[in-house]
Amino acid sequence: MVGIGTAAPVLPGPARARPAGRVGHGVALVGKALLPFVVLVGLWQASALALGLSNYLYPRPALVLRTFGVLVQHGVLLSYTETSMWRWFVGVAAGAGLAVPVALVLTFYRPVARMMFPLINFFTAIVELAWIPLFVLWFGYGFKVIVLSIAYVTFFPVLANTMTGITQIPRTSIHAARTLGANRWQMALHVLLPGSLPGTVTGVRTGAGYGFRSLIGAEMIAAQSGLGYMIFESRANQLTQRTIAGMITIGVLWLVIDRLYLRSIEKATVQRWGMQRRAPR
Amino acid sequence: MKVPAWRRLLRPGAVPVALVLLGWLALPYFDHIPQYKLPHLAQVGSDLWGLARSGALWAALGDSMGRLGTAFVLGAAAGVLVGLAVTLSRSLNDFLMPVIAFFNAIAGIAWIPMAIVWFGFGSGPVIFVIANNVFFIVLYNTLLGAESIPAIMYDAVRVLGGYRRLTMVREVLVPGAMVGVLSGLRTGLAFAWRALVAVEMIAASNGLGYLSIQASRVFDGATVVSVILVIGAVWVVMDRVLLRPIERVTVRRWGMVGQTDF
Repeated sequence: MVGIGTAAPVLPGPARARPAGRVGHGVALVGKALLPFVVLVGLWQASALALGLSNYLYPRPALVLRTFGVLVQHGVLLSYTETSMWRWFVGVAAGAGLAVPVALVLTFYRPVARMMFPLINFFTAIVELAWIPLFVLWFGYGFKVIVLSIAYVTFFPVLANTMTGITQIPRTSIHAARTLGANRWQMALHVLLPGSLPGTVTGVRTGAGYGFRSLIGAEMIAAQSGLGYMIFESRANQLTQRTIAGMITIGVLWLVIDRLYLRSIEKATVQRWGMQRRAPR
Repeated sequence: MKVPAWRRLLRPGAVPVALVLLGWLALPYFDHIPQYKLPHLAQVGSDLWGLARSGALWAALGDSMGRLGTAFVLGAAAGVLVGLAVTLSRSLNDFLMPVIAFFNAIAGIAWIPMAIVWFGFGSGPVIFVIANNVFFIVLYNTLLGAESIPAIMYDAVRVLGGYRRLTMVREVLVPGAMVGVLSGLRTGLAFAWRALVAVEMIAASNGLGYLSIQASRVFDGATVVSVILVIGAVWVVMDRVLLRPIERVTVRRWGMVGQTDF
């Protein structure tokens, strides 16, 4: 007999929410999350020994760890991380800061919006990194090129999501404000901006993610400093252990930014102003 | 009602485009901007024509598209397989997911230096990095699709006698996860295209990205702008021919809500 209750449900999905519990549970969770990485590093070391490749082709974990120490000691890692993060922050802020007012204007003047869409679509279609050769011709290597390409790639998702956010504001709120005599300015400030915030924040999170990738790419092409420059130049200098150390830094950095900051900001915004979550990816 | 092509040019959307083009045309009469920084429209036109005539454009386009296709197929196939495997085994899932999350955080592009070390300059690193990119997107979307299958579906198949694991995979998991897989393919292709141009600039010796960065090095602004226009045009075509149809199918078949779009 095929019992519904007896067959263990092996299939349904991953990542079930576990009940929050005692302190010991938390420790177990951390251990469970760390275990795969311990195994991974073990496999890395074992495969390095087994393959016997040079440190250039396949740097050993111990060497990478020591390199971390050296890079931190010399202050290189910190200063490059700082440089990169500053570029990223300025780029995302500029892109998002420009996109929100544009979204408001396009919302207020629908005919203008309809006229602009084909042009906006075309510029969206051009990958931001494709602009880099032209930006390099304009500004030479460095800060401006990188910030510009990050701002470019942040702009479009913030614009699209803010506009979507505005369209999802309940009509009653808008009617209520209008009934109470709100002018355009008040409408924008008190209804549209806060109402569109969940959309904007989702857009910023998406854009910040694109921007982070763009940062690394742009730094490889057009910079003399920063994490992207470090991982690329280290390869040219046969110091691939620094490349790996840089890659790990990049991964951890993004996890920290995304999990600790962006996600919690998004969650808080959605709880405060939002009706529901939209477009998770 | 079908609108003839020439009538569409009279739509309001054409106005800003026309203004941009007119401004560009008028530029030589006002500017003091050197040609290499912002080449004139006519210059770009003749450059584009030259590239097309000499075959350089088609060669670059062919190289780029070939890499894109290869990398996309490799990455997507691996993504779907790993996605299904992780769904099938809870312990595999618990073990692999943190690792996958970490590697996903290392942006695909950050692999470029190591890919160059392993494969040398050329198609190798480009395919590796883009397949890497596509893999994670397709994987996560496959998981999302599998997660969205209501538990009742499994129960239903079980009641009807399908208690073998293979039956579950064939009857429930694969068709149920298909929405996720398809949206993953769509997003994956978009990301692959974004990455392609960048990786080609850094790690290739031909293709569109290389053409553009090389032109920039010799201050050939006309070719740089030509490549930008080609990149935009190729994306528009891919979007119309490949992505929109996929989206339409998923929406019609599974009632999925489309991605935010203008």
